[in-house]
Amino acid sequence: MSDIELRNLSKRFDGTTAVKRASFSIHDGEFFILVGPSGCGKSTLLNMIVGLEDASEGEILVDGERVNDLDPRDRNMAMVFQSYAIYPHMTVRENMAFPLKLARLPKQQIDSRVARAAGILELGDLLDRKPAALSGGQRQRVAMGRAIVREPRVFLLDEPLSNLDAKLRVQMRTEIARLQRRLGTTTIYVTHDQTEAMTLGDRVAVLRRGEVLQIGTPRQLYEQPANLFVAGFIGSPAMNFLPARYNAGRLELPIGSLELGPDLRAAVAAGEGPLVAGFRPDHLRAVGDRAQADLCFAARAEVVEWLGADVFAYFDVTLEGFEAMALPEDLELETGRQGCSSLVARIHPGAGLKEGDTFDLGLDAGQVQVFEALSGRNLSLSGGLHQA
Amino acid sequence: MSAAEANGGRMERLFWGAGSAVVVIYALLPVAWIVSLSLKRSADLGDNRFLPDVVSLEHYATVFRDPQFSAALLNSVGIAAISTLAAVLLGAFTAYAIVRLEFPGRRLILAGALAIAMFPPISIVGPLFNTWRTLGLYDTWAGLVLPYMTFTLPLAIWTLAAFFREIPWDLDKAARVDGATALQAFLHVIAPLAAPGVFSAAILVFMFAWNDFLFAASLTSTDHARTVPAAIAFFTGSSRFEQPTGSVAAASVVVTVPVIIVVLLFQRRIVAGLTAGAVKG
Repeated sequence: MSDIELRNLSKRFDGTTAVKRASFSIHDGEFFILVGPSGCGKSTLLNMIVGLEDASEGEILVDGERVNDLDPRDRNMAMVFQSYAIYPHMTVRENMAFPLKLARLPKQQIDSRVARAAGILELGDLLDRKPAALSGGQRQRVAMGRAIVREPRVFLLDEPLSNLDAKLRVQMRTEIARLQRRLGTTTIYVTHDQTEAMTLGDRVAVLRRGEVLQIGTPRQLYEQPANLFVAGFIGSPAMNFLPARYNAGRLELPIGSLELGPDLRAAVAAGEGPLVAGFRPDHLRAVGDRAQADLCFAARAEVVEWLGADVFAYFDVTLEGFEAMALPEDLELETGRQGCSSLVARIHPGAGLKEGDTFDLGLDAGQVQVFEALSGRNLSLSGGLHQA
Repeated sequence: MSAAEANGGRMERLFWGAGSAVVVIYALLPVAWIVSLSLKRSADLGDNRFLPDVVSLEHYATVFRDPQFSAALLNSVGIAAISTLAAVLLGAFTAYAIVRLEFPGRRLILAGALAIAMFPPISIVGPLFNTWRTLGLYDTWAGLVLPYMTFTLPLAIWTLAAFFREIPWDLDKAARVDGATALQAFLHVIAPLAAPGVFSAAILVFMFAWNDFLFAASLTSTDHARTVPAAIAFFTGSSRFEQPTGSVAAASVVVTVPVIIVVLLFQRRIVAGLTAGAVKG
């Protein structure tokens, strides 16, 4: 078990920078997530920590000791690869015993450790099979088993679930979480899936284009995103965005205007360039009476997704008098057609909403976050609106 | 499934079945003919029958009684084995470097290797004959091993490079993280997975060296280095009025059978597809 500290860690491949001056620490026993869209440098960061790639700049410290120049074999870290990378010519038992044999452990100890790991991962019946005879989920377990037999200082998992089908993925996600709590080993987990990041992580680092945008607990990222990218990346369905204008203490939106609190007023007034307002689908409430919320507007449900406990209603808002926003492309958000913005609201299933219905929605000023469209900076945070 | 589809499926099976049968018969008929000839008595050689009337092993006895043939067999085995070992070893190093390392001229090496394979051997036999005589390599094992190795290296490099490319390098990384040195990772993980590729390359190289006639006939003159294909050409009948047809057939069978056995033995290892199950899929 170990603390890991990164100091100004950078990685450059001829011409391009894959990781830009990453500096953060991971505490002993923590489940730490690196999340971001593909190409954000999260896997490169992981490879540098484990030693498969050299850092161009900066330091990696484990328990205060610099490990930059150590060979991967001397770092005592175990890694689970996206492709599992289990050895096809070895049985499950041999696969799990391989790191222990390399460490020259006595045979008896190897056997007992393999048996214990197989017990934890329910691989007991499969020990003498070759990987070719295993299902995807079983291979995934073997890869996990090979990592835990070593009792390493750190676990590194590189998108371990992305090759599994949806149901198995959710199941293994829970298992990995339980395993990590049980073993208490510092774990770094790389994923592009924000749901995995939110459900698994003690803390999450959001990366984009090699830069760490924000580090925080899943709740902090959800409630106080530092910028437009984090706000749009975290949460499913994604946050709603609308172009906005500040005018005499009020925030004007295509759906109406909101009275801003005094702190936020100053912050928003100081914002540069065009503004974007963001609010979560769960902050839009279906209201019966227009006086119930700070801002009320009527919407026509284009698509209604019924998920049992939740209903998501998708609707369009016309951008009369507002310019269309340019959201970060790598968010891959559907922002609506020409002159329109597509929004979504989470509605109570009891409302019995159907496609084509017109309904009233309310939004409170306290739930809206205001971003600078160009820099992406969240002005609401400096305005002291969302203090946790 | 509709009747038309079932019919289509049957037609397709029939097409492929008949096609395969034609190819197999076409390829094996000469082999069967040689086996048949080798088992006929000398007197029956011209009897225009496909199957021998009386099975006789007299030609095999003649062949093995001839000291030239035994010497040639030894030469063939030795020269082919050394050529194979050398070509596969050098080919493996080259292919590994080409697949794993980024260095200038990778493509040039591959293209150059291919160019050598395209070179017609007959065009260099003459110069080689003179060079070998000057260097003292004429009629020696080395004199044959060198051209065999040279002409099969491209084949070995291309085959092995194709196999190495198929090995998921995550395995190499996984082994390094698991605590292996670079050498241990290669020996315990990469080499066992590359084995089928090495076997296929070895078989291809071995067959080239084993079957070659051109170099063997041109660059040897005595039992010292003459291989079986060349030796067969120098067979004589027991009298000047007799063709050595039976002996040639028997000798051909003797040199063909080992190759067939070797290929059949290793075929399973080659086809086994050891990499199945390494990664997703």
